[in-house]
Formats: sequence, structure tokens, C-alpha cells
Amino acid sequence: MSSKTAKPVLHSAAWRISLWATLAFACGAFLVFVVLHQFVANDIQRRSDAWLSGEVEVLGDVAEQTPKNALYDRVVGEVAELASKEVPNRDSSAGASNDSVFFLQTGGDGALMLWVGAGSGLANLKAIQANRILPGTPMDLRVPGFGVPFRVAATRIADGSYIYLGLSERDELRVLRNLRARFILLWLLLVLLGFGIVFFTTHRMLSLVRRITEAASRIGHSDLSARVPTSARQDEVGSLALTLNHMLDRIENSMHQLHTITDSLAHDLRSPLTAIRGKLEVSLSAGSSADQAEPIVAVIEELDRLTEFLNKSLDVAEAKADALRLTRCEVDLDELLRIMIDLYEPSMSERGLQIRLQSGGPLKIEADAALIHRMIANLFDNELKHLPAASTINLLLRADESGASLILEDDGPGFDLEVLPHLFERRVKGRKSNGHGLGLAFIDAVVRAHGGAVSAGNREQSGARLTVTLPRISR
Amino acid sequence: MRLLLVEDEIDIQSFLRTSLEEAGYEVETAADGKTAELLAVDGSFDILIVDLGLPDIDGISLILKLRQLGVTAPVLILSARRSVDDRVRGLEQGGDDYLTKPFALAELLARLRNLLRRNSPPASEATRLRVLDLELDLLRREATRSGQILQLTQQEFVLLEYLCRNAGRVVTRSMILDKVWGMRIQPDTNVVDVHIYRLRGKVDGPGQKPLIRTLRGVGYVLKDR
Repeated sequence: MSSKTAKPVLHSAAWRISLWATLAFACGAFLVFVVLHQFVANDIQRRSDAWLSGEVEVLGDVAEQTPKNALYDRVVGEVAELASKEVPNRDSSAGASNDSVFFLQTGGDGALMLWVGAGSGLANLKAIQANRILPGTPMDLRVPGFGVPFRVAATRIADGSYIYLGLSERDELRVLRNLRARFILLWLLLVLLGFGIVFFTTHRMLSLVRRITEAASRIGHSDLSARVPTSARQDEVGSLALTLNHMLDRIENSMHQLHTITDSLAHDLRSPLTAIRGKLEVSLSAGSSADQAEPIVAVIEELDRLTEFLNKSLDVAEAKADALRLTRCEVDLDELLRIMIDLYEPSMSERGLQIRLQSGGPLKIEADAALIHRMIANLFDNELKHLPAASTINLLLRADESGASLILEDDGPGFDLEVLPHLFERRVKGRKSNGHGLGLAFIDAVVRAHGGAVSAGNREQSGARLTVTLPRISR
Repeated sequence: MRLLLVEDEIDIQSFLRTSLEEAGYEVETAADGKTAELLAVDGSFDILIVDLGLPDIDGISLILKLRQLGVTAPVLILSARRSVDDRVRGLEQGGDDYLTKPFALAELLARLRNLLRRNSPPASEATRLRVLDLELDLLRREATRSGQILQLTQQEFVLLEYLCRNAGRVVTRSMILDKVWGMRIQPDTNVVDVHIYRLRGKVDGPGQKPLIRTLRGVGYVLKDR
């Protein structure tokens, strides 16, 4: 749950959200442009078609009314030349040279009668005849030798000849090209800007969420006084922080109550226990005979067991409520286990048990030393009490990426199958056990209070296996 | 030795007074913080026992207040609380000690002795300990009884050394666990007894006067007479 290390931007939710939002925006804008482009292209075409149709009519009229004498070519040629100067969408920078318009007149037999335009006009004539351009609506015409097609309108005049007026689509395409270039530029700018804005806002909002998460994960078992950062804004994130803090208030309150109850319970029971034990000891040291001392000693031993039971019960109760208070310091598990084995080894060999430790050397974790001591003592007490003679206990301690794991295996009878699923609950014990049934519950409680985990099961061969994992730094 | 006992539970106060006086202390008692303050400032006490749960003031606040008033005597804190307060740990580091209730009288007395020894100038550290015919060479880590070298493990030597240093006085199981193994635990099983049993097998050979005595329900004592 550690989110202390800053996540790379590419994996953040803000990045993904901005990416998707930008993609949607870019696609939408592009679609709108495609429609607009089509509309503009159609409009330009309609205008040039209207001009072509109008001009070809005029030229037709002029050609009809001009007498077919020597001046005919000149008059019609001049008019055609004039018309070409009024070309729509004309690129003014193109200069005087006119290669965007041509005028062509054919006789009834299809021979070239009059040509105004760039080149000889033969290629144009050939193309017109191949494409069967007829009077009526203007049509597209591709002429070999010209990069862009022409739009050609035709008319038939009374003497049976045809007049063709062609307009290069070059200017029209140039206008559309300009439009497209500008759009792409603007579109890119808009998309980048949009991405920036979306990323900035989501990043800001989500970084607030991240700070809340970080703060919430820092609020561990023992430190409930901290709160998540709140923002002044009344939005969803702000109310999330407020709700979390209200929840923490309530948890802290009930935790405090639990501590008060267990503390006063401990106090109320321990004071009389102290008095009873003390008085018994005083009467013991007052030189009583062995016969009199025996029952007193037995009672004192019972009292000590009762005290330890009380301590464990309260610890387990607190730990079940995630309220066990830890005082952390550095604990070397390897060293601790060696000392513990040293302490327990005589008792174990007395009972014919063998204990072996496999460890990779010092393994330091942050933990409550006193609780870990008691936890291990419980583990060993458990083995000592339940294993039949000539059993072997194998301990395997190793470091892993998150901390330490301790595996305890024995070759005894293993756990009773009916208690196995409830092993870590209070008062659960095997049929032959004569303990309080608190040992494993206590082990589980301590390990969980440190943010670790315990699992128990039976080995395939026979025997029990207990796995304890403890994080290097407990929350 | 003048001792001030600050404890509000009358039952506990009375048996403590009895056994402390039996152990040779001159005991004054106070049942609340105010009385304790008056007594501690006037009377010059060598040592204080303070219970944390007093009716008028928190035990630790009382100790801090007394320190401010110039009371320098060491304090043994008695606590019936479950967890050891950070402030108690602070005091412990400052030279005081704590004991959780219920406790064995022997342990209380041992801790008092420790506190008093800590505050007196350190006697030159002996390199040899001798109890009757048992002798420990602390430098060579060697133990002999009537001149015969005892084959002890490292841990057994430490245990015997601890018993020798407290010869004639009762030590409890939890004191042994604390001082020899360095942990405050209360095992369900008789692990300490087995260690003592083994040690006794080596120290008290056949035909020799048994030195290590078990006081059931209390602890052990190494006889020095």
C-alpha cells in the first residue's frame, strides 16, 4: 500500500483521462472539419460552375453575333481573354500569364476553329472529344500535360459549332489546401491546449486524492490522531476528505474507549491480584512449615498463570480490534531466535524434541520487541506442550522483499482437522490440549498488529507448518 | 535506608510495608500525590516506590514534579497498566525502573537493590566471585567448586554468575529471564526450571552440599551460608 514513491506520470489516472478526453475532442473536431470542408468545396465548385455556364453563354452569344470575317478570331479571342481575367478564386500573385482558362471553338466537324489559352489547344481538344463533353452542366476534364483537371462548360451555337470554356481547378484546390493547412495547424494547437487544460485540472484534482490516500495509509494502527488533508472546495474530493476524517474521528473515539476499558479492567483485576499475591508471599516467608507452604505455593503459581492469561486475553482482544499499542524499535530476528532457542533447548531435549534453525544471518525489522519476544515464546511453548517425544522442529528464517518470513515445521501429529479452520480464534484448541486456547490467537494478534500475516496448516508428510511473515517496517 | 512508598491501595500498601520493613527499609507511606510531595521534599529518602494510579495525580506527573523540586532519589514505578507508557520508558532511561503488577516480592527487592547500587559510586569491579567453595573467574569465564573445574556452557556460566551476584537472596524466574536472556516474558512452560536443574546437576555434585535451592512459587536462591 506504499504510495510514497511518486508514480510516473504515464501511469497516472490524470494522464489516461486527458488522453481519452483529447482523443474524443480531436476526433469530434476532425469530423466537423470534414463536413465543413465538403461544404466549402461544394460551394466553390457551384460558384465556378455558375461562372463557367454564364461566361460560355456570353461567349456563345458573341460568337453567334460576330460576323465570320477576318476580325472574328480577334473579337471572340479578346472577349475570351477578358473573361479569363475575371476568374473566381484567382490567385492574384500568379501574374498576367493566363494558363488557368482556355477557350476553344470547334466547327461542326469537330476541327479546331479558334483557341485562346496556353499551348496549342490540341491536347485539350483531344481530351474534350474523348470525354464527350456536351452542353449543359460543367464537367471535369483531365488533360494530359496539366497537373490539375479543368472544369469545362460547353455550348452549341446556331452555326453548328461548339464553344468550350475550361477553367483550371488549380485555384479552387489551392483555396481548399490553404483551408486544410490552417485547420490542421489550429486543430493541433487546440488539441494540445485541450490536453494541457484537461491534464492540469485532473492532475490537480487527483493529486489531492493521492495526498488523501497517502495520508490515510500513513494512519496506522497506533497513530490514529493524524487526519487526511482537506481542501476548501466543496466538491466530491473535498467531501471525501471530510468523510474520511469523520470516520477517523469515530474510529479513534471507539479505540480510545476500548483502551480505557481494557486499561481499567487490567487495573481493577491486577490490583487485587497484587494484594493477594503479596499477602500470600508474606505468609510464606513468615516461616511456615513445608506442609503449610505447599498449598500457598500452588495458589501463587495459579495466580501467576491467571495474570498471564489476563494479559494475553486483553492483548488478543485489543489486537482483534486492531488496537494493540506498539512501541517499535529495531529487532534482529535471527539473534532473537537464537537466544530463544538457547532458552528453550534444554526443555525441548528433556522432552526428546530437537529444534533446528536455518537462517541467512542477521535480519532486522522494526517491531515491538516485548511483543515479538512473547510471540516467539508462545510459539515455542505451543510446540513444547503439544509435540510427542522424538519430534523435530525446523525453523526457517529468511528475508524477502517485504520483510521477514519465519516458517516453523514439525513432524508431530499436526493440527486437528476440525480446529484447523478456526485455529486463530480465541478459545479454540485441540481435543488433547490443556491450555487456554489463547496461544495461536495471541501469535496471530501480535503478527497482525505489526502488519504481518500468519498461516497454519498440516504438512503432506505429517506434522504442522506455521508461516509467519512480518514486514520490515510495520505500519 | 529510608524509603517512601506512594500507593493508594491500602491492601497493597500494608503488605509492602511489612515486607519492606522486614527487608530492612525504614518505610514512610503516602496514599496520594499531595502527601507524597510534602513528605518527599522534607524527608530525605534514599529511594521511592510510586504507583502510577494515584487518586489525585498521575504517578509520572508526580515524579516529574518531585524531580523539579529537587528530589533526586531513584524511583521504582509500579504500574497496573497494560502498556508501558513512553514516559515510563523515558524515566527508565533516566535511571529509574518500573515493575508491573502483580509482582513477586523478591523481584521488587532485587530492583530496589539495583536502583540503590546504581546510584552509589560503583565499587571496583571484581574479576572473581566467591560463594562458599564455589568460585567464578569472570575474566577466564571459568567456574570451580572445591577446586574442581565445572564444565559449563556460556549460558550456564552467565546464569551461575547472576545467581552468585545475588547469593543469599531470592531471584525469581522472570528476573532470571530478564537479566540472563534479556526478555520480559512469562512462558507457560518450565523453561527456566530446566536450565536451573541442569546447572544444579553440574554445580551440586554427588556428596556435595547442595547450593542452589528452589523456593517453590517464589524462585531460586544460591545459598551463601
